[in-house]
Amino acid sequence: MTVALEATRLGKRFGKRWALQDCTFELPAGSIAGLVGPNGAGKTTLLHIAVGLLEPTSGSIRILGEDPGNERVLSRVGFVAQDTPLYKYFSVADMISFGEHMNSSFDVAFLRERMARLEIPFDQSAGSLSGGQRAQVGLALALAKRPEILLLDEPLASLDPLARREFLQTLMEGVADTEVTVVLSSHLLTDLERVCDHMMVLARGHFRLIADTSDILKNHKLLIGPRERAGAISGVEQVLHQSATDRQATLLVRTNGPIIDPAWMVNQVSLEDVVLAYLDSRSTADANDHDLHAVREVAR
Amino acid sequence: MTWVAWRQHRLQLLWGAAAIAAMTLFLVPTGLGMAHQFSSSGLARCLSTIGFPRCGDLSQTFENHYRGFSFVIPLFMMAPVLFGMFFGAPLIAREMDTGTYRLAWTQGVTRPRWLAGKLLVVVGAALAGAAALASLVTWWSRPLVANTASRFHPGIFDLRGVVPIAYTVFAVMLGVAIGALIKKTLAAVGMTLAAFAAVRIGIELFLRQHYMTAKRLTESFVFGPGKGGVAANSADWVISQNTIDRAGHIVSRGGGFDFSYLAAHCPAVAAAGPFPRVVGAIPGQVDPVPACVQHLGLRIASVYQPASRFWTFQWIEFGIFIALAIALGAFALWRTKRLS
Repeated sequence: MTVALEATRLGKRFGKRWALQDCTFELPAGSIAGLVGPNGAGKTTLLHIAVGLLEPTSGSIRILGEDPGNERVLSRVGFVAQDTPLYKYFSVADMISFGEHMNSSFDVAFLRERMARLEIPFDQSAGSLSGGQRAQVGLALALAKRPEILLLDEPLASLDPLARREFLQTLMEGVADTEVTVVLSSHLLTDLERVCDHMMVLARGHFRLIADTSDILKNHKLLIGPRERAGAISGVEQVLHQSATDRQATLLVRTNGPIIDPAWMVNQVSLEDVVLAYLDSRSTADANDHDLHAVREVAR
Repeated sequence: MTWVAWRQHRLQLLWGAAAIAAMTLFLVPTGLGMAHQFSSSGLARCLSTIGFPRCGDLSQTFENHYRGFSFVIPLFMMAPVLFGMFFGAPLIAREMDTGTYRLAWTQGVTRPRWLAGKLLVVVGAALAGAAALASLVTWWSRPLVANTASRFHPGIFDLRGVVPIAYTVFAVMLGVAIGALIKKTLAAVGMTLAAFAAVRIGIELFLRQHYMTAKRLTESFVFGPGKGGVAANSADWVISQNTIDRAGHIVSRGGGFDFSYLAAHCPAVAAAGPFPRVVGAIPGQVDPVPACVQHLGLRIASVYQPASRFWTFQWIEFGIFIALAIALGAFALWRTKRLS
């Protein structure tokens, strides 16, 4: 397995506040990873460090086996920053030339074809594009670099549902049949669920969960059983979340083996349930209303 | 990269070119008119044969006629800093302001190369513009300068020769560096203006006179019709003039006499009273001042930079501003690598 993105005890501090702390992970090449977390969780910080826009305060990160931002790796990384920055006064044609002049290898034909297919006029100024068109231009510019890894920061945030679907479609077409690794961040899990095979759950600067989505679904179960529970349940590694009614308890658990206890009814979980549980589980101790609100937003 | 820089800054560059074109439209006809007047009035011949302060009415008439043009002095003094404010300050600050640095710095070009490309276009354009403007102004002002005492005057030294070009390069790099430091376009524009003014005024008032060891000249006072207390050649840059006594102590500043000093030392002066009289108006009356001056051994001591050093001073000042510009460029590069 080749590793596309690898962090070791990565940390970033802004003044007194740690935006990211003690992050260690490996993302296999070819994954399509969803970086999920509430606003302010550290998603942008992580992505900016990965592309060399920010220097980490502690630890290290390797992208495609290189230090971020160096000459060898810049042209192999595609990045679209939050809100898709474009030069407002540039026409779409100018933006295409910009990509061409700023990269040693750049697939102009692909980019032109894509703009034509999306019916984005070449003479329109970037500042007057709709949110959806803007996101598409940003994505197409990044794809035209033919990157080995593509990092997208909240690409869907400003898009309406139809534009979201079109965007994800363009993205999946762009990376289909290639080995390109994709990391896309969002504070909305539902957007990512459909396309991602990896989940990176980030909250308050710490990773809560990094795993293959099929493993997540396999290793997490929803148990319904007696309200009064005696001791540990065999096959349960950790209880992430529990709720109870008068008569029964519902547990969201991580398993480490089959659950054969007949007292418990075992149900499949949705990705959303698991992510929400991870965001919730370790933050409840010091969570305030704001955090809870943010967490709810993730699950929405 | 140069295409990108050109595309990004072409609006500013075109405005700059338009401004220089407008100045040319003003300078060429007025300059030709002035040159014509200068030679046809005979002032040119007078100045080249007799020399500046002695062309009397011709000099005065010419000066009065073109006094209105003095408005161009502050305008051209400002020109370099305008390049700094509109070309330099936004160069990095605008990318930070609008967030487009996240686009520019994640393409295949490293930040140092990106900055080098931008500077190449913008500094190159500023250099060309400043050189054009400086040579135009140097040509245009030739008659006006010939009819002035010294080329070292502020407003003459600063607008002619090579220094305006160095000021311009310095102003652009100052804007770039300040923009990289504070990352806000509007604030960077304002701070560029303030910092440029501070450096220019500081160097002009305090440093320039020390570029080379000043010459010293001590002369006796000469009395008689048409003679004041003339010291060095009037084309020189006189930095100070003091009246000193026989021992070399300064008795008054500015090169004149201090009546109370003379009165205290010469009873005849005290008796004549402090008010100026027309010497020789009353036959037989003797002016007591020359005798007193001679008695006390008063002389006039001047510290000055000779007129012949004009070009040396131009190149020294050029070198200083170019060195400052290079230092600011190095700072901007260092800063750009660390910006986020």
